[in-house]
Amino acid sequence: MIAALWQNLDYAASVALFCIGLYAIITKENLIKKFMGLNIMETAVFAFIVALGVVDGGEAPIMGPGVEAPFINPLPQALILTGIVVAVSTTALALSLVIRIWRQCGTIEADELREAE
Amino acid sequence: MRRALVILLLVAVSLPLLLAVSQLPPHGDPDNPPHVHIAPRYLESGPEEAGAENVVTAVILNYRGFDTQGEVTVIFTAMAAVVAVLVMGSTGTAPAERSAAAVPVSVIVRFIVRVLAPFIAVFSVYVVLNGHVTPGGGFQGGTIAGALVIALTLILSEQDARALLPRRPERLLQAAAPITFFVVGIAGLVIAGDYLAYPRTEALRWLTTIMLTVVELGIGVGGAMVIATIFRTMGADR
Amino acid sequence: MSRVFDIVLLLLLIGCALAVVRLKDLLAAAIVFSSYSLLMCLLWLHRGAPDVAMTEAAVGAGVTTVLFLVTIARTTRKERS
Repeated sequence: MIAALWQNLDYAASVALFCIGLYAIITKENLIKKFMGLNIMETAVFAFIVALGVVDGGEAPIMGPGVEAPFINPLPQALILTGIVVAVSTTALALSLVIRIWRQCGTIEADELREAE
Repeated sequence: MRRALVILLLVAVSLPLLLAVSQLPPHGDPDNPPHVHIAPRYLESGPEEAGAENVVTAVILNYRGFDTQGEVTVIFTAMAAVVAVLVMGSTGTAPAERSAAAVPVSVIVRFIVRVLAPFIAVFSVYVVLNGHVTPGGGFQGGTIAGALVIALTLILSEQDARALLPRRPERLLQAAAPITFFVVGIAGLVIAGDYLAYPRTEALRWLTTIMLTVVELGIGVGGAMVIATIFRTMGADR
Repeated sequence: MSRVFDIVLLLLLIGCALAVVRLKDLLAAAIVFSSYSLLMCLLWLHRGAPDVAMTEAAVGAGVTTVLFLVTIARTTRKERS
């Protein structure tokens, strides 16, 4: 298994980044830190999907004069473009909710918010 | 104790993922399933059918156009939700934060933003218009223009910053991207028979290019306005 | 040579992610998050995905970092625990 992981090094790095983001969401109490962890998880998944489409020795999928086969798969890149936009949308909404919570309750630590229920 | 539980959970999550990842086909092999089934069709007939040499733009706007329409609706909804959370329903008791002790912006920042602003504006228009030939596209150029508006808001005074964005057609410009997609979709329905279908024949190639450019401009303008509005709402009473 | 570049980039990415999680000062964490986004953009350029790299550079280092900084300016700067 270690040899197969060494060959698929990109995928293993994506799993490691995913676990780091998950650790931030579970362990940290501050809401802003939790959303930074969520963003790290999202970019780890994007890196995994883009790495699925790479072809050895391939060129970027932009046709121009003098560009030859083989090409890198354009489909994962198109999906990830939409994914990045959705990630920034959820981050914007989440951070505006954090600002509102600070105005109403005066704290953004999750355990203090749970006490004040 | 809690620390040990968290470490155990992370190991329990990461080990099956690593096992699954190690059994995927080798990275970069040209015979992998994703490269064999549908990608060759997009790569071969992309430039002729879709009218865009950048195959990724052809996939986004032409082959998977519905996904892009959903994406611009998502970011418009996020802007509406940000405004709803922060502006409506607030009783006006926001604590007066640093407005009395605001630190003035330094001379270096002001100078550099003033010098770079025209170049960034021209570059963003170039990225939007050249999206189907070089890497780029509607959303990339729109985000660059939105970031330029954010930078200018930081250095200008309040009323100058408010005059940056047009006041009267503001709502229309924020919804520019979904409206443009809808209009181009109806045009495709009338001309080519399917919602959001671009004409494929050689004679109507100019019409395909015009429709693609209109869609890209709509996405660019809509994206820039949405990002500027989100920043202005979150950083209000500055 | 390109393999060495890959490994160095991935190690730097993991290091930046760990630094974002461990820093107590939220302002420093936001700046390191911006550099994490820049390294991700470089990784995608190296993989031959220029559209995704341009979007990540404009959105990650441009918009998401600014939103984090605005939120930190409106709330607190230090993490309590």
